[in-house]
Amino acid sequence: MKVLVVTSGVPFIRGGAEILADNLCQALSAAGHTAELIFIPFKHYPPSRIPEHMLACRLLDLTETCGVRIDRVIGLKFPAYLTPHPNKVIWLLHQHRTAYELWDHPMAGDLIHHPDGPVVREAIRQADRELIPEAKAVYTLSENVSDRLRRFCGIAGEPLYNPPAHAALFHNNFAGDYFFFPSRVTGVKRQLLVIEALARCQERTLVRFAGEADSPRELAACVDAIRQLKVEDRVEWLGWISEEQKRELYANCLGVLFPPVDEDYGYVTLEAMLSSKPVITCADSGGPLEFVVDRQTGLVAAPTPESLARAMDALWADRRGAAAKGEAGRARYEGLKISWENVVEKLLC
Amino acid sequence: MGRPGLQPSRCARQSGGRVGGPEVDPPPHFRHKTLMPKSHGLRILIATVRVPFVQGGAEIHAEGLRRALREAGHQAEIIAIPFKWYPPERILDQMLACRLLDLSETVGVAVDRLIGLKFPAYLIPHPRKVIWLLHQHRQAYDLWQHPLNDLHRYPNGDEVRAAIHRADCELIPQARHVFANSRNVAGRLQTFCGVQAAPLYHPPQDAARFYTRPAEDFLYFPSRINPLKRQDLVLEALAQTRLPVRVYFSGSAEEPAFERKCVALARKNGCADRVQWLGSVSEEEKRDLYARSLGVLFPPVDEDYGYITLEAMLAQKPVITCKDSGGPLEFVVHHQTGIVAEPTLEALAAAMDSLWEDRERARQWGDAGRQRYDDLDIDWSHVVEKLLA
Repeated sequence: MKVLVVTSGVPFIRGGAEILADNLCQALSAAGHTAELIFIPFKHYPPSRIPEHMLACRLLDLTETCGVRIDRVIGLKFPAYLTPHPNKVIWLLHQHRTAYELWDHPMAGDLIHHPDGPVVREAIRQADRELIPEAKAVYTLSENVSDRLRRFCGIAGEPLYNPPAHAALFHNNFAGDYFFFPSRVTGVKRQLLVIEALARCQERTLVRFAGEADSPRELAACVDAIRQLKVEDRVEWLGWISEEQKRELYANCLGVLFPPVDEDYGYVTLEAMLSSKPVITCADSGGPLEFVVDRQTGLVAAPTPESLARAMDALWADRRGAAAKGEAGRARYEGLKISWENVVEKLLC
Repeated sequence: MGRPGLQPSRCARQSGGRVGGPEVDPPPHFRHKTLMPKSHGLRILIATVRVPFVQGGAEIHAEGLRRALREAGHQAEIIAIPFKWYPPERILDQMLACRLLDLSETVGVAVDRLIGLKFPAYLIPHPRKVIWLLHQHRQAYDLWQHPLNDLHRYPNGDEVRAAIHRADCELIPQARHVFANSRNVAGRLQTFCGVQAAPLYHPPQDAARFYTRPAEDFLYFPSRINPLKRQDLVLEALAQTRLPVRVYFSGSAEEPAFERKCVALARKNGCADRVQWLGSVSEEEKRDLYARSLGVLFPPVDEDYGYITLEAMLAQKPVITCKDSGGPLEFVVHHQTGIVAEPTLEALAAAMDSLWEDRERARQWGDAGRQRYDDLDIDWSHVVEKLLA
């Protein structure tokens, strides 16, 4: 089949969604199909830009190319999944979240602060409600994303899990004396919450942060907090690291910190499980809660510095228990049968 | 990785023991330097269009530009908007789609430069846009009413053509600077839109890897098998040569009907044994074929630029082209680096005979072609400098 994977994103920023799109194309090729990625740039501010980009996507024509039919379009991100096609399947990575569950979120909410925010929110919701069902089938990234789609738009979508890139290369070495927190540095990943927790730990816990900052402002906020709370000597800030370095940092850590705000899915959880490491997440972290079983494969804390500090202290003090939780996480991953073959089969049927 | 603190020995020392107080290892260093945003040069977006599942010179061009910008220390990404030009009203939809995109900044950080290459992507607005025009939508300009195109046959063809003209005339001059791929493309922009553009040449892919070898008994015609490249004209001319000229064709067939026509022509004219169809060849094979050829055939219809001319010059081979071939005429000097023939069977046949007959002169013209290439100063660093000036 000739398959186009259609997604949106912000130029110069590469996160989980971009990696997923590349991996999907590779998996489609591996299954014998011809697959290409169409990337439509998206800028979500000021709010009036959003309907313009929605319209731009509706104006594209991916039905055929040089007279040859395009058999399937797979839409991933808003607004690219609105691009019309008679044989479209949506694999919803997430909707435009600040028009939905993040609308009035104190950190993430943005539309709400603009006079035309409510109008734009309504336009987004209306487009989603009317146009998502145009697709032949709707899958989602996770139970969490399905829930939101059902709750806000009344549309059913089946969760379809995918493995992290290079899943086979993750491994476990030994439990070193640091927590590992790999994520883009941005408000919703809550590096700041971890820095505050660090300052409240009884144990002399250490955290290695890896990942690039979305913007200099986000970076500055973390730097200021680290200095103000005087935890400079308990933080290592690695910035961008290679995939290989990342796997080593997983393999040698005591446990993984991943307390984002209502994450859609979260490769970090799965990568930690593949590396046989316990995961500390929060009760409002979304996706990770589909995988982390509290006190069996990790710890689910309340999203407060105090609760997170207690969880960090607990793992730090009980290294043997931490290792056992890590092993249980690996076993749970194996049991879930997450594979690209399965994803491709579902998306093309 | 070699980071302190990741050594197994360290773990061994700690296993079983509690961590705390004075016994803890030196803490990892809080590295202030990595907290500072690195200087990455300018943030540049290259705006172009693509036809899904079709790879051509334009993709290679955009990739080459991105690589050159990165090598010069900048951050560069390609934005490739899908394009479908039929039915004609789709063209208008996609022009509008491009005008609706906002590439002025990303997450609050300015995009320092937008480099627009192809229609309609070069219409995307940006306060610091430079256009390096590969070509306009040729069906609305020089190829309007051309037998190989069909825009004029649609009831709304005129209207769509007028809209394209209007958009180009009004919006291209909004760019800070306008360059063109070649003098030929700049000339069309001047003729049809009255907009001036400076020609800015760039090298073919892997220019440094071309080399030469002693000439063997064949002329080489590398091109997609396509009516605009005129393989059919060469085959008809071949039937009229006095000498037993041989031609090797390579390139993928885009239109099966045209390929069949070419094969049938060779057979009908009784020159099938003087023709070889090599199909798609690797870049390595292509360079080898250039190197061993007696000369290169490149007689397209009004080509915008044409890497083939440049590749032939790099391989020190004379080029046979036609007076209506466009881009190649900016490089081929008649009877100095090749032959510029009338686009007729007789003239093309005579040109082929003439190279076949005088091998020494063919070699000299090839050498002169290479000299001319070197004198033209065609390199990516020059392109980057001009585009970012």
